Amino acid sequence: MIASLAHRASGVVLVLFVPLYLWLLHGMTGSPDNFIQVQAWLHSGLGKLLLWLAGVALFFHFCNGLRFLSIDAGWFESRQLMRLSARIILAMTLLAALLLGLLL
Amino acid sequence: MAEMIQLSVFRYDPEKGGKPFMQAYEVPVSGPGMKLLDALNYIKWQLDGTLTYRRSCGEGVCGSDGLNINGINGLACITPIAGLKQPIHVRPLPSMEVIRDLVVDMDHFFDQYRQIQPWLQAVTPMPEHERLQSPAQRAELDGQYECILCGCCTTACPSWWWNGDRFLGPATLLQANRWIVDSRDEAMGDRLDQLEDAFRLYRCHQIMNCMEACPKELNPTAAIDNIKRKILARKS
Repeated sequence: MIASLAHRASGVVLVLFVPLYLWLLHGMTGSPDNFIQVQAWLHSGLGKLLLWLAGVALFFHFCNGLRFLSIDAGWFESRQLMRLSARIILAMTLLAALLLGLLL
Repeated sequence: MAEMIQLSVFRYDPEKGGKPFMQAYEVPVSGPGMKLLDALNYIKWQLDGTLTYRRSCGEGVCGSDGLNINGINGLACITPIAGLKQPIHVRPLPSMEVIRDLVVDMDHFFDQYRQIQPWLQAVTPMPEHERLQSPAQRAELDGQYECILCGCCTTACPSWWWNGDRFLGPATLLQANRWIVDSRDEAMGDRLDQLEDAFRLYRCHQIMNCMEACPKELNPTAAIDNIKRKILARKS
């Protein structure tokens, strides 16, 4: 249930990140001044937070997407493995979130 | 004095009008291994005869007393009181129309069950004795045939909450799979034809609430995935 809800939520985050990403790309390729401005914004608190959020969402959505695909294919289909794989991916995401937080 | 259990039970009588409300009850512990149904029976027989709920076998076979217990669907008769947080909130199965108190209208649920034609279909002539299965073929039915149609899984499924008019729901699809994997059934093609639909089958998005809710510890998600793979296999 939590893994499923988080999968939808992270998907929404990733879709919403696309316009932000295009805006960043547009800003960085406009002129050297623009590049410096956008770079400064990316190093600000809000910029880092959004990058962190998109990174965590991407990590979770990718891993859980693989989990869904494997269950579709008939692997990890027992009740225990369905639960265990959800827990493992949630724990991995927590770890990735901490690591990304430290790196940023 | 006996140890007391606090319950908060959903009450609603559409015939009398008014709004639904939660009513508090106190029930003494009857002994070790006491189940939630024992507490409801105590309320009905000793405290308040107007409380209405379904129950029959009292041992998790008939599937009558599917309820929402502290937010999780389950059968009152096999849910131990010990381990439940008090006050125990007892509500009817979610997303269902309430007839009275804890009794919900299951008509649509069983209509959907009828849609999958839940009986053995074979065109080959009847053998002299019964239609035989090997032990391996019989083992395919394990995890499928045990479903008692209590509705705990279907009413826990968000896809069914939103598209219950067209999505068949986990219980019905598990039952459909029960006939699809049965070696004696010869109507798999027709069954798959009927199920291959954006709503009837493919509204399942693997939320897996059904698997968590099932009081018989079955796995409707896996059964639904098996139907999807059968449809895929006949295309390739």
